Amino acid sequence: MFQTNTKSFLQFTFLILLQAFLLNNVNLFGFLNPYIYLLFFITYRFDNNPTLLILIGFVMGFLLDLLSQGAGGHMIASLAIAFLRPYIIQFSFGVNSDVSMGMVRGTSLSNRLLYLAMMVFIHHLILFIVVYFNLKSISVIFKYTFFTTIFSFILLWISLSFFKTRYD
Amino acid sequence: MRQIFNALLKYKNTSLFLGLLFISLLIVNQRSFYHKSVFSKIGLGISSNFHGVSKGVSEYLNLRKTNVDLVKENNKLKILEIIYLQNQVLKQKTLDTFNFEVVSTKIIKNSFNKANNYLIINKGYEDGVTNDMGVISADGIIGIINQVRAHHSSVISILHQDIKVNVSFKKNGAYGTLSWPGIHPKRMTLDDISTINSVSVGDTIVTGGMSAYFPFGIPIGVVSKFVQPKMEGYYQIEVDLFSNLTQKEFAYVIKNKDLDEIKKLNNDVSN
Repeated sequence: MFQTNTKSFLQFTFLILLQAFLLNNVNLFGFLNPYIYLLFFITYRFDNNPTLLILIGFVMGFLLDLLSQGAGGHMIASLAIAFLRPYIIQFSFGVNSDVSMGMVRGTSLSNRLLYLAMMVFIHHLILFIVVYFNLKSISVIFKYTFFTTIFSFILLWISLSFFKTRYD
Repeated sequence: MRQIFNALLKYKNTSLFLGLLFISLLIVNQRSFYHKSVFSKIGLGISSNFHGVSKGVSEYLNLRKTNVDLVKENNKLKILEIIYLQNQVLKQKTLDTFNFEVVSTKIIKNSFNKANNYLIINKGYEDGVTNDMGVISADGIIGIINQVRAHHSSVISILHQDIKVNVSFKKNGAYGTLSWPGIHPKRMTLDDISTINSVSVGDTIVTGGMSAYFPFGIPIGVVSKFVQPKMEGYYQIEVDLFSNLTQKEFAYVIKNKDLDEIKKLNNDVSN
């Protein structure tokens, strides 16, 4: 348990620093930044305390906003995704939602893809809605959400393969 | 209490999420000027809508009072309307009942330096001018028509020793007779004012209503000097004319519509 928490804490710190100082400066095609810190929410054990995850999501988003001079988009988006995660798990894994490391092993590929896609898409949608916060720029919101989701999805899928080898 | 705690525990994720969301919104509001402006806009919209609803409700509840006020207002306006209409009618009535017609004319020849002076004006019987009409100027009276041609008429000036004009004091209506002593073209004498009336220098003299030639109230001049007799009787009053009869160009002929009737009456009485 202690080991798991330490691992989680290290992962948490590493992802925040990676996101704030490296990935926020990628600017692929001028505007695309992948949001890899979602990895923490995706790989968080399904049977761990969801209330704790909400708090962690809030703190993580808050720190990211502080480090990247954001208004609060990461804070609200990660808070929301931490809150919505149990429902997304239920929706995408169905009967297998009690598999504790479902994202890494023990579930079918299509379920994992659906879960990952939903997590990324919902997070990014909320993020850009908060950042633009204007009904007139709804087309820009969807454009950014769409392209950034593809980019983040690919990078997250690659990162997850590292997890898989480590846990195997 | 226990149930409240149970409910809180049951929905602890949701309540935690909502609480943290609220905090995040506060932080966003603090950190970003743009978001702050959007929030304040939303707040303004909500509050104005709410105020609109409450305003509508209070307006509905105040309808009775509003109706009373409107009825009061209507009464006021109705009174004003009636007064306005009456004034219109009165104006028309005044025009209808005014006994004098006015014809504007130009003075062709004027004299003032003889003992008996005449004028000639460029309106004659074709313009409706007949004998015994009064002639006035913008600031006083000029005389009375005595001969009429087709397009010209001659006027006995008030600077004529035979003409006597009925005048009165504007302040108290005391009647007298104005005549010209034949010396100065602005100086007239006023007779027949009884000493029971008070007279002072500067009193305004206007035409009197006794005359069939002039309508009542045309200003003529002011009292410049007067002598009070030792015993009861009549003042000797000197009047300065307003109008300078040596410099007249335009005049108005005044036709009394009832002149024939008055003359007939006079004849009947004297016969």
